[in-house]
Amino acid sequence: MQIYLPIAEMSLDALLLLGLGGMVGFLSGMFGVGGGFLMTPLLIFIGVPPAVAVGTEANQVVAASVSGALAHWRRGNIDIRMGVVLMIGGFVGSTLGVWLFTFLRGIGQIDFVIAVSYVMFLGIVGVLMVVESVRSWFRSRNPSAPRRKLHYHTWLHGLPFKMRFRRSKLYISALLPLGVGMFVGILAAIMGVGGGFVMVPAMIYLLGMPTSVVVGTSLFQIVFVTANVTFLQAVNNQTVDIVLALLLVVGSVIGAQFGARVGARLRGEEMRIALGLIVLVVCGRVAWTLVASPDDFYSIGIGGRH
Amino acid sequence: MARAGNPIAAVLAALISVAALQGAGPAAAQSIVADLSHREVAISTGFTGETLLLFGATEGEGDIVVTVTGPRREEIVRRKQRVAGIWVNGASIIFPDAPAYYRVAASRPLADIAGAALLDRLQIGPERLDLDADLTPLIGEIARFREALIRNKQRIELYGTGVSEISILRGRLFRTSIPFPANVPTGEYLVTVYLFKDGRLVSRENTPLAVRKVGLEAQIYRFAHDQAPLYGAIAIGIALLAGWLAGVIFRRT
Repeated sequence: MQIYLPIAEMSLDALLLLGLGGMVGFLSGMFGVGGGFLMTPLLIFIGVPPAVAVGTEANQVVAASVSGALAHWRRGNIDIRMGVVLMIGGFVGSTLGVWLFTFLRGIGQIDFVIAVSYVMFLGIVGVLMVVESVRSWFRSRNPSAPRRKLHYHTWLHGLPFKMRFRRSKLYISALLPLGVGMFVGILAAIMGVGGGFVMVPAMIYLLGMPTSVVVGTSLFQIVFVTANVTFLQAVNNQTVDIVLALLLVVGSVIGAQFGARVGARLRGEEMRIALGLIVLVVCGRVAWTLVASPDDFYSIGIGGRH
Repeated sequence: MARAGNPIAAVLAALISVAALQGAGPAAAQSIVADLSHREVAISTGFTGETLLLFGATEGEGDIVVTVTGPRREEIVRRKQRVAGIWVNGASIIFPDAPAYYRVAASRPLADIAGAALLDRLQIGPERLDLDADLTPLIGEIARFREALIRNKQRIELYGTGVSEISILRGRLFRTSIPFPANVPTGEYLVTVYLFKDGRLVSRENTPLAVRKVGLEAQIYRFAHDQAPLYGAIAIGIALLAGWLAGVIFRRT
């Protein structure tokens, strides 16, 4: 069943889009990730213009993370104070990111920057995830091995503007979460993701937050940051396709419910290894588009002046 | 099949008008009458492309050529170059008014219909389009970029490859089909029918054609461009509602 997407200005199979949403939703429900990092490249592979894929995906991530954020809110798993500081950083970062996006689109380099960002971040996060979970998998087999120290003190803890985050049991400089939020905000705008795959490790390893509040707090701020990206992409670039977003949302919310049920039966380390491998496969596929010789060395685009 | 019936009725009408022209004397000789099965291509929810039928009749026998030209707009052609093993967009040339869509149909091979000079002047054939480039330091390479523009347009089916066929019945009636793919740009199109005789142009007839989004598609597109902030806010609202709803529904089950 072909459906014409008014902003992407192309016709795609509605069932294919629902299926894609369902599949990515399933994985995101299973692994507890937003799924933007899978969906945006998939949309680009099936021919959606990269700018539309990124703008629309931000909109879809809003829907994907709000039900998770609400569930964590009810269970009290959100450090609101931390979430708000991250969010402020996220607002600044995503506003900068959309501005950068518009600029890069104007000079014809946005597709390239999107692809490079994907390869870089998926590569780093995928490798870290696989290495870390393989290690902890071995550790769980061999309990006599020495445990890692829980908390390191570095120069980061000497920064000014210290704030107390009771829920996270932290007393750290507000500049840290502001910086993390800002950085992830830029990524969210350029890559069309929530940024959870960067945010969660940063919260654990950089900020030292307890894992019980990490996912809830990350989802909380992702809702606001992706909403900001959606708004700014719609205003600056008109690249948010509501019809496309709606089809993906319907597929993904259903898929996520089934994924969550399957995920509950899997072991933590094994799941992280699997997710790490998926991340690396996507990374490899995007990297291939960058290094493989193009079919045509020339490409066309519509200019700014019509 | 009301659609298939319409053109036939219209061809008959065209025939009658040709007959009427015949009576009008020598001034109206060598005329063409042409019409399209629809004067508009409407892009709606289920749009997967559309093929229009162009038909008509000529006064006297001759060779017929049809061109369909889309709205002119700025196209940028970029050349990829390899930087440290990675393909990056490098040099670019702007063609400020390239037709968004272009197709040619002819009753015989173009070379048999008219000389190259005449075809050039009339811009018949994608390679003969007047594609002027903006001022560029790559002056020596404009031809290559121009070829690339045509090639890329042909790949996404917005420019025709080669010349489509025009069938002629009894020397006077002609018909051809004009395909519009799903990605057809919106705007005002011009269908031009040329009548050639012995290598000379004897007559030409222009028929305008509009390609536009209609219904919900058109409204969403206009809304997204005219009231972008409100559109963005609504997009967020729908997403929040959908996410919340999903949480409520699945928590119950």
